[in-house]
Amino acid sequence: MKKLLFLAIATIAITNLCNAQFSEFQRSDSSTSGFTFSSENNTMQIGGRVSGYYENRFLKTGYTNLSHNGWAVKDADLDLLGKTNNHFVYEFHISLVDIIAAAATQNTANPANPGFKAAYISYEGWKVHVKFGYDKLPFSQGSISDVYATPMWSHANLYGGDLFSRRDFGLTFNTRLLHNHINLYGGAYSGMGENFYEYGNDASGTFEYIGRIEYCFPGKMKYHPLDEENTQKPTFRIAANIRYEDKTQPTGQTIGVDAPGAYGLRIINGKRMVYGGDFIAKYKGFSYLFETDLMKLTPANATDPLFEGTSNAVNGGYIKAGGFVTGLNYNSDKLRSTFSVNYEDFKTDDLTVSEQSWLYFGYAYKVSGYNSVLKAEYYIPTKEATLTNPLKYSGQIRIGYQIVF
Amino acid sequence: MYSKFKIHHIYLLQIFLVFIVVILLSFKPNKEQILKYNSNVYLKNIPEPSDIVYDSQSNHFYIVSDHGKLFECANDGKIIRKAQKEGLDFEGVEVKDSFIYVSDETPRKVYQYRKSDLSLVKIFSVKCGGALNKAYESITYNYTKNCFVMISQQPAIIVEYDEQFNEISRKKFNIGRDISAARWYNGKFYIISSKDACLYVCEATKYDVQQYYKINVINAEGLAFDANGKMLITSDDLQRLYFFNQLPNIKQ
Repeated sequence: MKKLLFLAIATIAITNLCNAQFSEFQRSDSSTSGFTFSSENNTMQIGGRVSGYYENRFLKTGYTNLSHNGWAVKDADLDLLGKTNNHFVYEFHISLVDIIAAAATQNTANPANPGFKAAYISYEGWKVHVKFGYDKLPFSQGSISDVYATPMWSHANLYGGDLFSRRDFGLTFNTRLLHNHINLYGGAYSGMGENFYEYGNDASGTFEYIGRIEYCFPGKMKYHPLDEENTQKPTFRIAANIRYEDKTQPTGQTIGVDAPGAYGLRIINGKRMVYGGDFIAKYKGFSYLFETDLMKLTPANATDPLFEGTSNAVNGGYIKAGGFVTGLNYNSDKLRSTFSVNYEDFKTDDLTVSEQSWLYFGYAYKVSGYNSVLKAEYYIPTKEATLTNPLKYSGQIRIGYQIVF
Repeated sequence: MYSKFKIHHIYLLQIFLVFIVVILLSFKPNKEQILKYNSNVYLKNIPEPSDIVYDSQSNHFYIVSDHGKLFECANDGKIIRKAQKEGLDFEGVEVKDSFIYVSDETPRKVYQYRKSDLSLVKIFSVKCGGALNKAYESITYNYTKNCFVMISQQPAIIVEYDEQFNEISRKKFNIGRDISAARWYNGKFYIISSKDACLYVCEATKYDVQQYYKINVINAEGLAFDANGKMLITSDDLQRLYFFNQLPNIKQ
């Protein structure tokens, strides 16, 4: 608690200091923007972000490891985004923190965060945009949205990358129809997700296919969870998406050991379908979000560990998982503040007691929008999956600062 | 009976809720004047219309599109003709004498078209070092100071240029979170912030704000005044043109 008290005092001091340095007249200081270079046929922007926080875990009785009670670097990102005069767009986005962590630990610290966040080219000269390379997948509103533009420090578990991959290498098509009300995505990807750089393609020789359809009203909407525009007319988007892969491995072949992830769900030896929908509505500074993602996994092998040792008569040859996330945000630029509360509930399989739910609170004090912002996040598990994901703590708080340039 | 850890959380939750209440109670809402549009049209064949300007000689409008296209349109928004030479990301348009000037935001260029046949005359380069799509979303001619004015979207920097687009001066515009449109009209300088959904009326020498109005348009990107002084605003995301009545008298 002494640390928290110190942190609270330091936070107030930093906030006041920031007010002094970034007064109302300097809130849009150019140092918080990217840097753009132009040549005759090419324009390129260099941007990125740096952030870190103090975190404090409330450990349960009997646990003494306080390694999560201290400082943490969240981001040290560098992003190169370019456009050519003949309608090509390219991006190269790396996380130096993840690259250094991967190098120092032989990629064992966090294999699903290899350090690459985007490396693609796209052509936007046609009605249908074509993108080839590695980038976020067009699946799940929560996954597509940038967490740095919210008061939270991390995505909800459901779409944070443990249940399904958020990025992959592949080909994406995107077009808008009916006065921009309809937005369509379709694509084929390696299916290896963020582990593509570690293992390349798997031995099945098949793709993962993803489709997403959105309806936006009254018109095109960006993937931004907050109503920073203080919209005077209600706006909403409703979407449905699906992804499917058959990664049944040839005899004698296996999937890379890290690729299935913490719950073994990100890729399996067998068929896997994830489907769901999401909704966002914005009005006068408020935004409400809902998302559900459900999975059906059909392992090729009846003795697959995902079956938890149950017989085919019990499991029917498949496992189901998934859940929902819902959230409410209020953004006020007069207060320079955003308040957020999120709740999620999900299962990692339907054969054991794997349900867990979490409650998240977030607050952001915006010195210069989300380009220069103090963020505080506090979350607690309201239902714990003691069998599949036993926790050593009963809550966690993170307070830190973020600069986007 | 609560455990030690649950007590921690209850305290923290209480602190969090009290914090929210204190902040909300400190908030005193301003009574803002909201300008509401009277009618609107869908600009069917103009994808993402980003700016509009009225030409008193032809009684037509010129509209530019985020897709790098320049259109001449009738009063109802119907296309009369289109320039052959396209750019990358047209965001601002102005008419002066026999020429049309268009700001191409991403490559930081200004296209000069001949009004008579919409042919390209010249391309000027302008300097803006900010983010790729946060550069000049507006271009207008300030007849009070006899110079072109372009305002970068974010951070908002007002830059004055001579007629060969040599930079004369620049200053920060510290009001509004972004700037998406600007127009000199009848001795006043009008600026729109898309993020704030706000129209600022400024004096045209130092660009000091004299009055501001909230506007009920989402993604307001372009601003024009017709022959009767009625205001028109384009929205790129909604692909619409909004018609307003004349602005209320401005408090000096």
